[in-house]
Amino acid sequence: MQSEEYSIIKQCMDGNAEIYAILVERYKNMVYNIAYRMLGDTEAANDIAQESFISAYVALKDFKRGAKFSSWLCSITINKCRDYLRSRKDNIPIDEIAETTIFKIPTPEDTVYKRQIGQGLQTALNELPEDYREVIVLKYIEWLDYKEMENILGVNVNALKVRTYRGRELLKELLKERGIIDE
Amino acid sequence: MNKDVDIIHRLLDGELSEEEKRDILSKIDSDPVLKNELKEIEKTIHIAKNSDRLIAPASFTSDVMRRLPARKESYVKEVRDFFFKGRVLRWNMATALAVACLMIIVFAGIFQFQKKNNLVQYANTTSGESTITVRINFHAPEAKKVAIAGDFNKWKVDENILKRQDNGIWTIEIPLKPGAYNYMFVVDGKVWMTDPNAELYQDDGFGFKNSVLKVTKL
Repeated sequence: MQSEEYSIIKQCMDGNAEIYAILVERYKNMVYNIAYRMLGDTEAANDIAQESFISAYVALKDFKRGAKFSSWLCSITINKCRDYLRSRKDNIPIDEIAETTIFKIPTPEDTVYKRQIGQGLQTALNELPEDYREVIVLKYIEWLDYKEMENILGVNVNALKVRTYRGRELLKELLKERGIIDE
Repeated sequence: MNKDVDIIHRLLDGELSEEEKRDILSKIDSDPVLKNELKEIEKTIHIAKNSDRLIAPASFTSDVMRRLPARKESYVKEVRDFFFKGRVLRWNMATALAVACLMIIVFAGIFQFQKKNNLVQYANTTSGESTITVRINFHAPEAKKVAIAGDFNKWKVDENILKRQDNGIWTIEIPLKPGAYNYMFVVDGKVWMTDPNAELYQDDGFGFKNSVLKVTKL
């Protein structure tokens, strides 16, 4: 872990709460993106991302020196997303969760096309089983390597590779269904 | 997932041996279904990797900071306050004499201890305020840089850099007001180390020990 971040955490533990803003500024987009890609909803993503930072702050005393703060924070965010998705499944019928946007076959012209691909990707991600969605988000949206994913998800590298292969195979089929990838 | 598709995924992750790679590439070359499978998986990865990154709302950091719960005062601060916070004491002459005797014994003990320790303290007066200059030594012959971070410099890792002596001992002199200070050494800018010769140690809340330096009036 970077010395500077360890120094910041020590100061937070010593009662200097204001300095935590440095870590929030540094990682807010990463946490917000993970939450958005996992939940597919900007409002929920904002809430969950904020709660992740607050939980991390409360749990700073459990942070192990030598660990990487960003990985630890990712792990908290993923757990928050899982809890949120579980509570949402309890409250909303399944057919209301999936397919929130109607897609047209894209015409490769301008940013509308790019936006449609982005929306198509998100809808496909929403339909992926959670454990596949987690590996796809961490590996391809956040560009993390398997070793770091192992630290975040607590699943060994070999199992993560198999999960990633299956996840992208399924994602490919979902993108094909939406015409994002040509048959 | 059939075997060939599985091999294509491993190919894309750079997991195949040269021989396996040659085999699957020649298979792909002669099989339009496999060729298409490879193209589609590559496109899937491309779309995911090149998706837009969202920017958190402008008020995100201030919203988080506003919602942070008040932290219970740290153990370190509680201990510090216990020893150094101002108190009103009721006293009588007998108690005062007993305390005076005790202090003489304690100071004599500290003096003996400091002679054995690697700390050297001497008093000086700077801009009307009394401070004690403390010399701290740390043995680290392999280190390229050693800094000290602690309560006295807000745990900054680049404010107090030790100077290397010929014998692998790193030294620094720091003027400090009387009090107790938690500190650690930071070797080569990344490794945090507890002082093996510290007077006292205190749990740092991360499963390690801070060294504690007590600076007393001379």
